[in-house]
Amino acid sequence: MKTFGGTPAVRGVSLSVPQGMIYGVLGPNGAGKTTTLRMVLGIIDPDAGERALLGHADPRKVSHRVGYLPEERGLYPAMKAREAIAFMGALRGLDWATGRKRAGEMMEASGLGYAVDRKIRQMSKGMAQLVQLLGSIVHQPELIVLDEPFSGLDPVNQEHLEALVRSERDRGATILFSTHVMSHAERLCERIAVIAGGQRRFEGTVDDARGLLPMQAQYVPCDRGAEAGALLPADARFDGRAWRFTVPDGGAEPMLLSLISAGHGIAGLSMQRPGLHDAFVRIVSDAKRADAEAQA
Amino acid sequence: MSAFTRQALVVARRDFTAVVATPTFLLFLLAPLFMILMSLLGLTGAAQIADTSQDKMRIGIIAAPTDGPFLVDADARLRTMLPREIQPPKLDLIPEHGTNGAAVAQALLAQPDPNFVAILYGPLEKPTILKEDGRRSTYLATLAEQALRDRKAGIAPGTLLSHAQTTDRKVTTASASSKHATGYAAVFGIFFLTLLLAGQSVGMLAEEKSNKVIEILAAAAPLEAVFLGKLIGMFGVALLFVSFWAGLAGVAIALSASFIPLPPIAAAVGLPAFLLLCALYFTMAFMLLGAIFLGVGTQASTMREIQMMSLPITIFQVAMFGLSSAAAGAPESGLARFAEIFPFSSPFAMAARAANEPEIWPHLVALGWQGLWVAITIWITAGLFRRGVLKSGPGLLSFLRRKR
Repeated sequence: MKTFGGTPAVRGVSLSVPQGMIYGVLGPNGAGKTTTLRMVLGIIDPDAGERALLGHADPRKVSHRVGYLPEERGLYPAMKAREAIAFMGALRGLDWATGRKRAGEMMEASGLGYAVDRKIRQMSKGMAQLVQLLGSIVHQPELIVLDEPFSGLDPVNQEHLEALVRSERDRGATILFSTHVMSHAERLCERIAVIAGGQRRFEGTVDDARGLLPMQAQYVPCDRGAEAGALLPADARFDGRAWRFTVPDGGAEPMLLSLISAGHGIAGLSMQRPGLHDAFVRIVSDAKRADAEAQA
Repeated sequence: MSAFTRQALVVARRDFTAVVATPTFLLFLLAPLFMILMSLLGLTGAAQIADTSQDKMRIGIIAAPTDGPFLVDADARLRTMLPREIQPPKLDLIPEHGTNGAAVAQALLAQPDPNFVAILYGPLEKPTILKEDGRRSTYLATLAEQALRDRKAGIAPGTLLSHAQTTDRKVTTASASSKHATGYAAVFGIFFLTLLLAGQSVGMLAEEKSNKVIEILAAAAPLEAVFLGKLIGMFGVALLFVSFWAGLAGVAIALSASFIPLPPIAAAVGLPAFLLLCALYFTMAFMLLGAIFLGVGTQASTMREIQMMSLPITIFQVAMFGLSSAAAGAPESGLARFAEIFPFSSPFAMAARAANEPEIWPHLVALGWQGLWVAITIWITAGLFRRGVLKSGPGLLSFLRRKR
């Protein structure tokens, strides 16, 4: 639980992140994602509740095993990239010499080898962001916490970052990251939690989340006519070529049989689960409605 | 090495390097040179003006030819007794013509060059001194008296009746006044250095707050370690500054020792211990006041607020100096004991005590006490920063309520 000036920011978020997994904390703006992560990391203390980081109640005790990329990026502008990475490693217990050596190697591997001795103020925002990310993993932490890591990056750097996250997971690290961009979560996360209004509203796999919504069907009748609509569910919409509708609870088979019997035939049929984006919108909308009802 | 110490040293190293490896540090290091140069220029100019005006000034005696040699001889002897700064203007003898000394004196006082400020005329037994308003006439009167005594005693000018021999006695124990002076000098020296150097810590977290690095630091290390590291880093800069200027001062003293006598340093604990204690108390004063300034500075959200805070900070420093100076002047008073115990004046007052009292153990206790207060101050300021700026934990009021 966390309240700022009488306004509750986090009202009850219960999370458990399995080891070696890429775990996403999703939520709309102002949902309490950053506050939750900051509490977990010990930057701020909760007003109430319990937290444990890598099994320790005091997050400071394990800060050397954790890497963190904050939402608001921060580097000393006058520092050289290599020094900035080594400094962040040194704060987490890595000696300077090793930090400098690894910084050079990591920057080289990330395509920034030409800028190791460039000052941060001389770098583009994307480059500086990548340097900061490298700084947060230079000490090879067991847990990497990334707060909105993709914001401000161009598509090429976003791809780069996704690859880096996967390689860290392959190294054995656990990755916990927050985002409100569903495509990244859909591609990367093995498990997600959705936070809205300071509360956890969902926890499970991406498929679990998508499974919250019914299947969507697209049906093209042989006669290309609009008359088939009478045999389809109430939400069916015809676009002049195909019908789109939500698959009813009992499945699509009885409906398809009646369409065939009525002579409409099946020229085309596809069924698919909605994406994480739709599931997220649904979860957040339901949460808002529930909160509004609770307030009323 | 504990994680806390290591993290503090990482922050200190970063801060030290960030300050020292910039061109502005050179400006900072050499700033006193500009001050010294400007002061020298000012002093030279002022001295030249004073000398020119002094050169033009004269005192005069309208004397009979027979009295002249006696007056010149008496003037030479009396002048040697007076330090240069308080010597009267050069004496001009004006031969007496006729009896209208008053008119001649009036005329001489009225002329611009040479600028007579006082004229003695008339017989030495009953002379008259005509002088500018506000000037003293004692010297001319004494001169007349002395010359008259010599003439009446028949002592020829230039004759020395007594031939004194001077032997210097080595002083083995310092006087109370020289100890007080040393104590006061220690208080002033430590105050001056902390005023010059510790006040800078007020804006030390401004950079981290403005470029969001504070989030990185707060996530990686306890704020207390960050604050301590910042103080150590800044102290390193101060130490470099002091060492540089102390080195230069040492060279200057060594070069000028033969013709400029050094003021005696009289310390009850002995000179080496005194110097060591002064260095330790400077460290403590820097850390204590620096921790307060750092804490105050972290509560400011803009540079304007930081600037506004410099005045109360300077007043606080001056108050500590005033308290400790009073303690240095009255070493065994209740005020001195208070200043020695009050944590923020303790380093200054204890430095004065080292000059005045020989016991060493109170200094060990005081250093421990001051170290404890450095820790307490850092803990409090870090706590205020955590609650006030990072908004961590419950608000201060609810925290206090809960504790109750």
